[in-house]
Amino acid sequence: MSTGIEQTPADGETLTEDELEALIGDRAIARDDHMNAPGFVVNPDEVQSVLSDLKERAGYDHLSSVTAQEYEDRYESIYHLKKYADASDEVSVVVPTASDDPVSESAEPVFRTADWHEREAYDLVGIEYADHPDLRRILLPETWQGHPLSKGYDQEKPQVVTLSEHANPLESDHRESGGESDTMFLNIGPHHPATHGVLHVETVLDGETVVDVEPDIGYLHRCEEQMCQQGTYRHQIMPYPDRWDYVSSGLLNEWSYARAIEDLADIEVPEYAQVIRTMGAELCRIASHMLALGTFALDVYGEFTAIFQYTFRDREVVQDILEDLTGQRMMFNYFRVGGVAWDLPEPREEFFEKTRDFLDELPAKVAEYNDMVTSNEIFQTRCIDTGVLEPEVAKDYGCTGPVARGSGVDYDLRRDDPYGYYENLDWDVVTRDGCDNYARVLTRMEEVEESAKIIQQCLDLLEDWPEDDREVQANVPRTLKPDADAETYRAVEAAKGELGIYIRSDGTDKPGRFKIRSPCFSNLQALGEMAEGEYIPDLVASLGSLDIVLGEVDR
Amino acid sequence: MNAATPLQSDTVLLPERIGELTGLAEFGLAGELLATFIAAFIVGNLMLAMTGVAGPWAKRKITAAFTDRIAVNHLGPGGILIIVADSVRLLSKENIIPENADRPAYDLAPIVIAGSALLGFAVIPMGNGVHLADPEVGLVYVFAVAGIASIGLMMAGYASGNKYSMLGGLRAVAQNIAYEIPLVVTGMSVVLFAGSLRMSEIVAAQSEPLITIAGVAIPAWYALVNPFAFVLFLIANFAEVGRNPFDMPEAPAELIAGYQTEYSSVYFVLVYLGEFLHIFLGGAIITTIFLGGPAGPVLPEIVWFIIKIWAVFLLTQWLRSAIPRVRIDQLIEIGWKGLLVLSFANLFLTAAIVGVIQ
Repeated sequence: MSTGIEQTPADGETLTEDELEALIGDRAIARDDHMNAPGFVVNPDEVQSVLSDLKERAGYDHLSSVTAQEYEDRYESIYHLKKYADASDEVSVVVPTASDDPVSESAEPVFRTADWHEREAYDLVGIEYADHPDLRRILLPETWQGHPLSKGYDQEKPQVVTLSEHANPLESDHRESGGESDTMFLNIGPHHPATHGVLHVETVLDGETVVDVEPDIGYLHRCEEQMCQQGTYRHQIMPYPDRWDYVSSGLLNEWSYARAIEDLADIEVPEYAQVIRTMGAELCRIASHMLALGTFALDVYGEFTAIFQYTFRDREVVQDILEDLTGQRMMFNYFRVGGVAWDLPEPREEFFEKTRDFLDELPAKVAEYNDMVTSNEIFQTRCIDTGVLEPEVAKDYGCTGPVARGSGVDYDLRRDDPYGYYENLDWDVVTRDGCDNYARVLTRMEEVEESAKIIQQCLDLLEDWPEDDREVQANVPRTLKPDADAETYRAVEAAKGELGIYIRSDGTDKPGRFKIRSPCFSNLQALGEMAEGEYIPDLVASLGSLDIVLGEVDR
Repeated sequence: MNAATPLQSDTVLLPERIGELTGLAEFGLAGELLATFIAAFIVGNLMLAMTGVAGPWAKRKITAAFTDRIAVNHLGPGGILIIVADSVRLLSKENIIPENADRPAYDLAPIVIAGSALLGFAVIPMGNGVHLADPEVGLVYVFAVAGIASIGLMMAGYASGNKYSMLGGLRAVAQNIAYEIPLVVTGMSVVLFAGSLRMSEIVAAQSEPLITIAGVAIPAWYALVNPFAFVLFLIANFAEVGRNPFDMPEAPAELIAGYQTEYSSVYFVLVYLGEFLHIFLGGAIITTIFLGGPAGPVLPEIVWFIIKIWAVFLLTQWLRSAIPRVRIDQLIEIGWKGLLVLSFANLFLTAAIVGVIQ
């Protein structure tokens, strides 16, 4: 009983489930284990103490996601915790709250990232978080009536809100900065060349220095979670992930759902399909990183420059290969529950040759980018030491993907929580400790090279695969009905970071709750930390280096 | 004056020539005024025609060549008729004037921006007698009128009633102050060589042979005599005309379009033309004081003049496609701490060298 409670475990040491139980002690009123992790039910007024014990004493320093849902008799918030040092070590904290008074203690003082996650829970489900610094709606307009994912919500009720009831973005022109100097309030977006979609950044400026940044999101909210809840597991959900991170990351997104449902329904994916999945996913990663580099160059160079066009030229080749493979350029819909839709395109030799040609030319292209972009002195003065994101801050905000790895956080689900065929391949996780815009760009460029290595090995495997063993799909029942109340949270390493899916089955052929943990959503939260105190151009560059896609932020 | 420079030593300027050719000279002051007006009309239209080609067509084609694209190719050979289509499109658009615009200033700004650049061409010798005026203080005049543009940018930025415009206008002023001093100081080092501020004499001084290689005389263009000053002047000039890496006043990724955010239709055309006119004026100044003015073999002088200013234009477009933008604070730092010091060093060194030689 004494171990683990009194002292902080050394780095890398993991607590057993018993030790965890002992750590939480009688604050846990019950157990509610999920398929991916042990779950502890705690009282709504002990959230902070339990989470901070788990963070400080047990090393669970990554609050991956917060899922909120309403049952017949209660509301529930689930905190999905992981370790940056070991992503496969997970624990869930389940916080039930009463139906008539859903108030729960906020986790924000322990994990900064809980800020937005709890706002979303409040917005969509209606749970209120005491002690939350800024509990407002986040995805829906502030005048919205009701909480769309709660039981009593009337979908038929029209939401008529006159323009005058909305907050006027022009009104609050002047804000106190607290200092002596006068400040100016500036709306950057939702229509602005550098916001990569419809993002609205409320900025307070002191001269050209950024004093305060408040991203306002939700302009592209398309009720993705609710749409997935209305589709059947077998076929109707898979097309949606393509629409989250829609800039060529489709297969990576599809994999997140595939992984979650295969875990939930206990489906074994044939190895051959896993290799194809791995190859397709890495092709998507290259395409996505190329776009990230191009648009970042656009932000820093400021004009429609050669770099942007070159990255698009090279991305186009990947896009062609993906089209050959999946039949689509953007909305691939290629993965199936238990495998992929079809085998490689015939003639296979042609496909292999085309892909190999691309891989052969890639090193020269990367060298060209290094010549033109990263070794350019003006580019370096613009990017080095700007948009600094310290590793501890990155962890606090739940940053993942190249954003975290650019800050030296060695966290990559492909290696830490293996899935697909990654375990059997030879590749490295790229990390850099620059913590600045420059480090993030270089991380992405090096990841492109690592992805190329993976694709190369997949091609070799696929070419030699015996012809009578090319099974692309497992035998999956026509109608999938996972056990009632089975819950799981499964994540994959998408181009932008940890893309996780939480599914709770209610015994029917549709999910009871479908929650998307978007990497961009968490990463974007860190924008304030990166940009405050810097100049507007650095704010723009930092935003570019985060590489967000609003389709995934808003879902 | 040197006899080897027939054009510049004979001081017949375009207005006088037109006066003689048309017989207007006989009508005294009124005739002279009319002749001057006609001459100015010709020169102004020549420059406007060049910006007309540069803006809607050449710029697109050049940028496309740098970025692996084709650009306009549907209308006319090589898409050249896009100029007509674009003119119609831009002029037929609604001129939207923001509610909070400060009216007279908002309306005047485009005219000031475009007009100041046009004024500068008055003292530029373009060869073949196309030279409107040749005052003793020609170089100072051209710097002075080019500098008026920053007032136009400030007016546009302030009067639009838009914060992005305001920031762009403020940047424009900060930038122009920081870079005009090195620009003028570097220009002065040329005056030390030429011994005159008069444009025609600066050009004439550059026609003397520097060295003769295999019977071909290399002229003493100041770009060759003092390449250091040439490079300094080029850099300061890019900042002055607000092109990459110094396009801070517009900075599309940061300030949307800076001072010109709120301009549409005809006003936008004027602002846009003004920008291109300024690039060409910058090119014309560089041509005149560093590249031997309109001088050149075989082809007529005016053709050489046009080739030279287009070469400078091409360079700005190249930079635009290839070089990142510096940050506003870095820009000011480069201006005050770098270029200013270097330009004064250049001036003193030149003065010492010129003093020793003479």
